[in-house]
Amino acid sequence: MRSQSAITGASAGADPDTANAPGVQSYETRLGVYDEMVAAEHKVLPYWERFIDALAAMGSAEIERRRRDTQRLLRENGVTYNVYGGDTHKLARPWRLDPVPLLIGSAEWLTIEAGLKQRAVLLDLILQDIYGEQTLLKKGLLPAELVLGHNGFFHACVGALPARTQQLTLYSANLARAANGRLWVLSDRTQAPSGAGYALENRTVMTRILADIFRETPVQRLAGFFKALDQGLTTLARHNKDNPRIVLLTPGPFNEAYFEHAYLSAYLGYTLVQGDDLTVRDGRVWLKSLTGLQPVDVILRRVDDSFCDPLALRSDSRLGVAGLLEAVRRGNVVIANPLGSSLLENPGLLAFLPKLARHFLNEDLRLPSVATWWCGQAREREFVLNNLDRLLIKPINRGPDDRIWCGAALGKAEQQRLRAAILAKPHGYVAQEPMSFSTVPAFIDHRMEARNAVLRSFVVADGDDYHAMPGGLTRVAWDKDDFNVSNQAGGISKDTWVLADESNAPVAMATPASRLSPVDAASEPLTSRAADHLFWVGRYWERIDGAARLLRTVLLKYRDTQEFNEASDTQCLAVLLRALTHVTVTYPGFTDDALLTAPETELFSLAREPKRLGSLTDNIQAFVQSAFTIRDLWSQDTWRSVDSIQHRWRQRVVNNGLTIDALQSGLDELITGLVAFAGLTGDSMTREAGWLMLDSGRRLERALMLMALLRATVASQHDPAVASQVFEAVLSSTDSFNIYLRRYRSFMQLPMLLELLLLDETHPRSVAYQLQQLSLHIDALPREGQGSRLSAEQRLIVKAHTDLRLSTVAELLSDEDGAGVYSALDDLLADTTERLWRVADVIARVYFSHSQAAQWMTANAPLEDEL
Amino acid sequence: MKYRITHSTVYNYSQPVGLCQNEARLQPRDFWRQRCESCHFEITPEPMDFREFVDYFGNRVVYFAVQQPHRQLAVTAISEVTLFPASNGDGYPPLSWEQIRDWLQDPAGSAPGLRPSQAHPQDQDVEQALLEARYHLLDSPMIAAGSELADYARPSFQPERPLLDVVRDLMQRIYADFTYDPAFTTIATPLSEVLRHRRGVCQDFAHLAIGCLRSFGLAARYVSGYVETQPPPGEERLIGADASHAWFAVYLPGDGWLEFDPTHNKVPFDRHITLAWGRDFSDVTPLKGIVYGGGQHGLSVSVDVLRLA
Repeated sequence: MRSQSAITGASAGADPDTANAPGVQSYETRLGVYDEMVAAEHKVLPYWERFIDALAAMGSAEIERRRRDTQRLLRENGVTYNVYGGDTHKLARPWRLDPVPLLIGSAEWLTIEAGLKQRAVLLDLILQDIYGEQTLLKKGLLPAELVLGHNGFFHACVGALPARTQQLTLYSANLARAANGRLWVLSDRTQAPSGAGYALENRTVMTRILADIFRETPVQRLAGFFKALDQGLTTLARHNKDNPRIVLLTPGPFNEAYFEHAYLSAYLGYTLVQGDDLTVRDGRVWLKSLTGLQPVDVILRRVDDSFCDPLALRSDSRLGVAGLLEAVRRGNVVIANPLGSSLLENPGLLAFLPKLARHFLNEDLRLPSVATWWCGQAREREFVLNNLDRLLIKPINRGPDDRIWCGAALGKAEQQRLRAAILAKPHGYVAQEPMSFSTVPAFIDHRMEARNAVLRSFVVADGDDYHAMPGGLTRVAWDKDDFNVSNQAGGISKDTWVLADESNAPVAMATPASRLSPVDAASEPLTSRAADHLFWVGRYWERIDGAARLLRTVLLKYRDTQEFNEASDTQCLAVLLRALTHVTVTYPGFTDDALLTAPETELFSLAREPKRLGSLTDNIQAFVQSAFTIRDLWSQDTWRSVDSIQHRWRQRVVNNGLTIDALQSGLDELITGLVAFAGLTGDSMTREAGWLMLDSGRRLERALMLMALLRATVASQHDPAVASQVFEAVLSSTDSFNIYLRRYRSFMQLPMLLELLLLDETHPRSVAYQLQQLSLHIDALPREGQGSRLSAEQRLIVKAHTDLRLSTVAELLSDEDGAGVYSALDDLLADTTERLWRVADVIARVYFSHSQAAQWMTANAPLEDEL
Repeated sequence: MKYRITHSTVYNYSQPVGLCQNEARLQPRDFWRQRCESCHFEITPEPMDFREFVDYFGNRVVYFAVQQPHRQLAVTAISEVTLFPASNGDGYPPLSWEQIRDWLQDPAGSAPGLRPSQAHPQDQDVEQALLEARYHLLDSPMIAAGSELADYARPSFQPERPLLDVVRDLMQRIYADFTYDPAFTTIATPLSEVLRHRRGVCQDFAHLAIGCLRSFGLAARYVSGYVETQPPPGEERLIGADASHAWFAVYLPGDGWLEFDPTHNKVPFDRHITLAWGRDFSDVTPLKGIVYGGGQHGLSVSVDVLRLA
């Protein structure tokens, strides 16, 4: 049933009948459903009026333009929400943000805020009791089966809470409004609530997209919330109280909210770590960095508690740190939220909160929970079984499939099965009343449409008190009448504007009050994992650059052969095509002579095939994936350049029918994109360990690619006519043609080419230059005191570099092995290649040591394991 | 009765281990029929980090970490215990299993004769004991109650049969129906496999009995320890040929936990030495650890239970 709202409040000048009207006048709400903008009276609420009038005046086309801008900004900023399933290349789904925020009036906000804070205090008290004295269980205020039978209860964590007033640092609640206009809590999030970072990014984008309206609206700022979070985490530290090291523990880039982990760690200035970036020694937690082990004082955790310690909790976890709980027990590290706090997410608790609020606080709940019956009690169970067809049934434990049964939708047989399951383990189930959420205007298909909404709100403890974020993450369903607002189901997010009577003074984040002492920038360690990824970003970068330039040269030569049909062109093309296969390691490729005459299919495949190892698309994906994994280390501009490389390549080359012309301009754009990335990293990265790693990877790969090219082209003899064409192609594909001409002003000759591309230390495209730089970088890497002795990687690079420096062109070209190969040259290139591979191996072993695998041992391991 | 127990575990690795962290539940705990006189560890290489604590079930735990590279880890625990010859289950009111099941669900509406305060003078202890018992009604990582287990157990659960008779019968049936076969199971073998093939080791039989009892609403726990073995007549006792052992205990209001050994069809008396107890094996694993590196590994375990007096 629909009702046309007679919107008397909106006085926008736009004519409702014109195509450009955003549909404010004809906004349709549903009968019996509360709407956030028009309530139940079909009249725009006073605090929405100015905002919606401004939108109406803007017109639908303009709003649509801004909506697209929103999506572009989000994509460029790398805001994603990974969706599980499907292939990994399409893992990252862009975050969706509706240009219409949810508005909350200042008076109502006070009520919500008080309710959220009360719940945080209450849940904190419950947590402290269950991991402490367990009085609630002993006195029967909470049934033992409800708590001890929940998989968020970890007996190993009992007694492990540090003595302090607030245990729960972060709390989040999902709120929805019922038909009567009252707000209800649907569920509590207590172990590692996500969404606050997305809320912040949404706000950042909205202030740009709706800058005009935002300026005119007294919206409360979010920065204070994050400042309180930083302060709260800082006060948790037991050591280094003045300047504790706080890390954000993430499950890694495959987690659906990885963007947020990277975003928050960069915003708050915390090192982003995965489990194997940390180690426990002497009962303390340490960060494995390029400069050795650094103590960690506080962990902001985004890993589920059961996965945090394979020794004390789930032994099959690869995401945690063995011994972490022991470090917690000794008070050497504090984790927020504490291990075990997921027990508060048990939906069965909702049924007991009113009683516990009176027990602990002598108060009624200010924000009620959705009506919940726990089946572990006889009367409630009976009620649930008698009313199955009008209730939602949930297991108290969130399982892998997160099943929720809607009683009304079940057939007879399914109902029987559910009934039997409840009777077999009654304490494992709750029933809840289905709730219809309120609607809120969303800009969908060029007009305002009412969509069901859920607000995720956030509360943080700053060490003294709880503070609610004046705002939050609002999510709406994509489809009309749908109640599933989750990101996994394709929901859209909204910014949430909590209105103030007058604009609050913005809180600057640049100098958090809690950390006024100047932080030594050089002391922020680079994790060995981040070092590893930087190294690989450098390597993929050069792989793309080298392959793209060579491919471009090949295409030019291919055109020549089409146009002039000269034998020397065709022979030169064959050399280049084979070189392309060698350089990109995509055998058999053009080593199969049959492909040489009709190379287009293979060339296109090398450019665009996403699943082909060594193709440009494959290397671009790997480059972006590695860069994304260390998203927190890039500046906004740098990340945007990474995004645009991939985006443009997809548009030009991958997603369209491909022609030689299109590929050529795609390659031009790709190379320009890489140059932009080079400029940004060169300009914005400090010359510390991170840059050393990036540039080392880059130099190493450039040397390898260049040597592969030289071996495949000039290390063997060609007919003079072909040779000069090959030389020219090699020079132009290494961006050295102009330099060659300027310097030698002569015809193409091999000795001069080798002088320039192999031995000239002043030429940034030469092998010698790469080795010299690599040698400097390797010397600068941190290493344990070893006196004047050289390390393994130093010895290797010194040997490679010295051999090259001692070579002369005359010697390199002095003997020819009878098959047309300059053997001294070929040997030098082969030996140097081999040494560089070993350099990469040694660096990986010494500096990226997080890769050592953990094994689980019990004394009852099967006897077959005997050595 | 006095015993000295020497429990040695040696890991050999094909590659160096850079770091290992371990939890050992190898120290006998004290309770009414057992006192641990002494216990010490010999660990090589010597752990740089070593700390003792008590877990949620009251078991003694040692956390230790070996932080220097090593290719072998040897852990030996040497304990001396005194056992007080005492048995349980005699002279208690013959409460039916249904009475006890109902009492565990709702102690307030307890039947006459169920007055736990006789055994527990302080109310606080009653509450604590009841909470512990109720934890052991629930599924645990390695034991999920269900209809398969209930079907197997049902013949023992005759209506209004005294609980002790039920459990003795269940123990006797497991002893008779199941074949002791160390080649059949590993720690990862699920209970349903054990039930289907009627084979397993002491740990499986204890899990089985516990699962059966929990399927009928009774509280049961897993006990890890050792049993003194007698050499075959005329043969010398072999040092180190003993093994870890496991059995189970069931909760009886007022009396606490009564023990049963389904592997030997015996009620533990003065030859069962207790290390630790919990919901199942995963709570009381005698020695577990995480090693970084190590490659392939080999393991040897020896246990020696020596009667001193």
